[in-house]
Amino acid sequence: MSRRQFFFIIIQTQIGVGVLSVPYELHTVAKQDGWISLLLGAIAIQLLLIGIWVVAKNLPQDTLYTMNDKLYTKWIGRPLSILYILYFIGVGTLIILLFCRMINVWVLPNTPIWVTALLMITVCMYMVHGGLLVLGRMYTMLSILIVFLLILMVFGAKEMQIMYLFPILESGWGKVFSGINQAIFSYFGFIVTLVVYSKVEGTNKQKLTTIVLAHWFVTLFYLFTVLASYTFFSTSELPLVPEPVLYMLKSFSLPIIARIDLFFITIWVINVATSFATYLYLSSIGFSDLFKKQSTTKFIVLIGVVVFSISMFIGMDIKKMEAFNNVVTYSGYVFSVTLPLIMVPLSFWRRNKDKGAGTS
Amino acid sequence: MGIFTRFFRNNRDILKDRHMSEPSGDKEVPTTKKLTENVKYILDAFHQTNDLKIRVLKKGDATLLYLESLAEHEKIHEKIFAPIEMGHTDDVFQLPNAKHTHDLEEAVRTILRGHALYLEEGKREIAQFSVTSSFSRTPEEPQNEKVVRGAHDGFVENMMTNINLIRKRVEHRDLTIKYFKLGRKTNTNVAVMYMDGIADPTLVQEVETRLHSVDSDMIHSPGHVEEFIEDQSNSPFPQMLNTERPDRVAANIVEGRVAIMSEGSPTTLIAPATFFMFYQAPDDYNMRWFTGTFVRLIRLFSFVIAVSLPAFYIAVVSFHYEVIPDELIIPVKASINEIAYPPILEALVMVIIIELIREAGIRLPQPIGQTIGIVGGLVIGDAVVRAGLVSNLMVIVVALTAIASFVVPSNELSTALRLLTFPLILLAGTIGFIGIVFGMLFILIHLTRLHSFGVPYFAPLAPLSLVDLKDTFVRLPMYMMKLRPKDAHAIKPIALDPSREWRNRDEQKQSKQGGDQTSTTNKPKE
Repeated sequence: MSRRQFFFIIIQTQIGVGVLSVPYELHTVAKQDGWISLLLGAIAIQLLLIGIWVVAKNLPQDTLYTMNDKLYTKWIGRPLSILYILYFIGVGTLIILLFCRMINVWVLPNTPIWVTALLMITVCMYMVHGGLLVLGRMYTMLSILIVFLLILMVFGAKEMQIMYLFPILESGWGKVFSGINQAIFSYFGFIVTLVVYSKVEGTNKQKLTTIVLAHWFVTLFYLFTVLASYTFFSTSELPLVPEPVLYMLKSFSLPIIARIDLFFITIWVINVATSFATYLYLSSIGFSDLFKKQSTTKFIVLIGVVVFSISMFIGMDIKKMEAFNNVVTYSGYVFSVTLPLIMVPLSFWRRNKDKGAGTS
Repeated sequence: MGIFTRFFRNNRDILKDRHMSEPSGDKEVPTTKKLTENVKYILDAFHQTNDLKIRVLKKGDATLLYLESLAEHEKIHEKIFAPIEMGHTDDVFQLPNAKHTHDLEEAVRTILRGHALYLEEGKREIAQFSVTSSFSRTPEEPQNEKVVRGAHDGFVENMMTNINLIRKRVEHRDLTIKYFKLGRKTNTNVAVMYMDGIADPTLVQEVETRLHSVDSDMIHSPGHVEEFIEDQSNSPFPQMLNTERPDRVAANIVEGRVAIMSEGSPTTLIAPATFFMFYQAPDDYNMRWFTGTFVRLIRLFSFVIAVSLPAFYIAVVSFHYEVIPDELIIPVKASINEIAYPPILEALVMVIIIELIREAGIRLPQPIGQTIGIVGGLVIGDAVVRAGLVSNLMVIVVALTAIASFVVPSNELSTALRLLTFPLILLAGTIGFIGIVFGMLFILIHLTRLHSFGVPYFAPLAPLSLVDLKDTFVRLPMYMMKLRPKDAHAIKPIALDPSREWRNRDEQKQSKQGGDQTSTTNKPKE
């Protein structure tokens, strides 16, 4: 896989369901200073990414799952890998649920959610079945749509009110820092780096550049989204609009197309599909690493069925969904932040051990 | 000296006749000295077929055998009897255009190729004379691939003529042709053509292995061969380019692709093919590059229209009315209001009607075909709207779609596109825009996953290759196409070296002459 594909895999995984709700969620905590939280969060993630890069550099042949085996020994590594797989399935299910809810609210109020869920899952299963190369090629091609999303958002710039951003730091640093918590959620997905790192061509340094570029591309994209909505809606309006970008676009109309928001959401569907496909890929590759099987077809179908059943079980029930959302997002801290950080020192130990074994 | 080496060292390579690949491995049956036995064997081999002609010569001591239907009497006379009458020689076996064999099986095969056999009592030898009669039309421009400017010749049913057309265009020793015999009963000659040193040897090897593994009684056309050797049969998209134009084949061969021809059909297959190759017409390269680019963009746009316009329209009128701007709502609503059926049904009916008209008109003689077009297109189209069965907007949409699908230069792809409209219409009719997105995504994934002889089908978009976009969405000037397209996997990537140095030189000269006044504007770019 080329580094370009690597770049697009990272950004397509990170840009997903979150785009529509990030501005709102940041706002609930940090008010109009949400964008500062976003930037601080980006810096924090940047540090974490360097840690992940160090781990991947020390174990250049491994995916996340074989790393677990090597770093924590088999007895801890295997259960950990299973937990990782479960986490990825959880995130996938969450994506499906949020997607279905959004479609239900904005486009198709009368369509049962199993239709949209099933379509999404089958299409992604077909994509993942093609393997990592197909994913990379698809994501590269589909990334042109991100440009369209940006262009659509530029429409908002006509009625931008920079004043809405002031006063800066009105609610104080405390709020801004707790906003980081919300911000980091939107960056989860960078863990894909650790899984596909070994399959990318190029030196470690080049790969690091790619990772960093991808991260800052995503950051800028989110920043743009957040600023666009914060300058369009005032602080008192924002709590009323859970999907500010869509509400913003809804108010504009072009001579040929009256409702731009529908087009935005249509393109957004593709970004959701790419995110979900990545998680599907991550968990399927986990299974095949765990069982030492080459073919992932069965696992992909299995995961698809599991995701579908869980999302049908939770359905549109707000309470269940909230609970599930909390579980998944907080376990994100464990799997995407804590565990990679623990792996950093362990990976050095492992490398030294390998080196020692190699020379003696 | 030569005689000594030949006798004692026995190291002289004996030159053998070369002709089209013989199915090797068949058993050999030696001839006998008895004429009647030999003749009987051949007669039995042909199951006493009536068109096997036996001419008895030399009062029963010799005979001439040939298939009356394949041989030409003029040629028999010219090749066998004329030299003898002229007194060059008395012995038929001594004639220079005779080919000798001692194998009856081979004799049977050569009769089938249109040879005449000469046998004599008391001799084991059989002399074979090629007297095939062949009828072929002139290489006219193919009906289905016409161009405005450019070469107006096309392939015919005779493979030798076709190869001749290619050799005339590519006068280079690297042009290599390999013959195959396919089909156990039909014994069809198939030729594989490529440029040695440009085409990827593994690709050529792959084509050959796949052709070799075809084991069927009948092979009658390249379309037939295609299904045997293509990568993925479960796909609406053609994975090999079909063409009847020699210029197109020659261009593709020089790009490093492989062409497959078969006897008896003017269609040539080109592999590997990519999706965008089907959108390149020979015309593009004869136009100025501005117009070429424009036409190509129109064509690619037609892909989007052909696949998604009816679906888009249905999604809008049945789900997303709010997308239509205010001024348009009233006319749209007015045209749909009176219709009894849901838009999806209207669309399906109309699309099927168009297909019916097309299919009905295609095989009829031209005058009737035109009538069908008028009756079908004008009368039905008009009446159906007046009767209130279909809205007039839907007629416009479906007609546009049909036109767009015919814009594609390749017939196979155009059929594939029309086929793809149906699932998209269904998806759009059930869940609107979201359905279209998923449908399109599915098509894109499928295109990305497809491979044609190891080459990604959707190149240069997926995998993205920015350099190769020069001949995909746009057509840059020819002298800028310095590298061969990557998807052909050519082993020699450079297609042309700087070809417009004269321009540099001229500019330099100008700037020298112009001195101070023009030197700022005409600086050579170095």
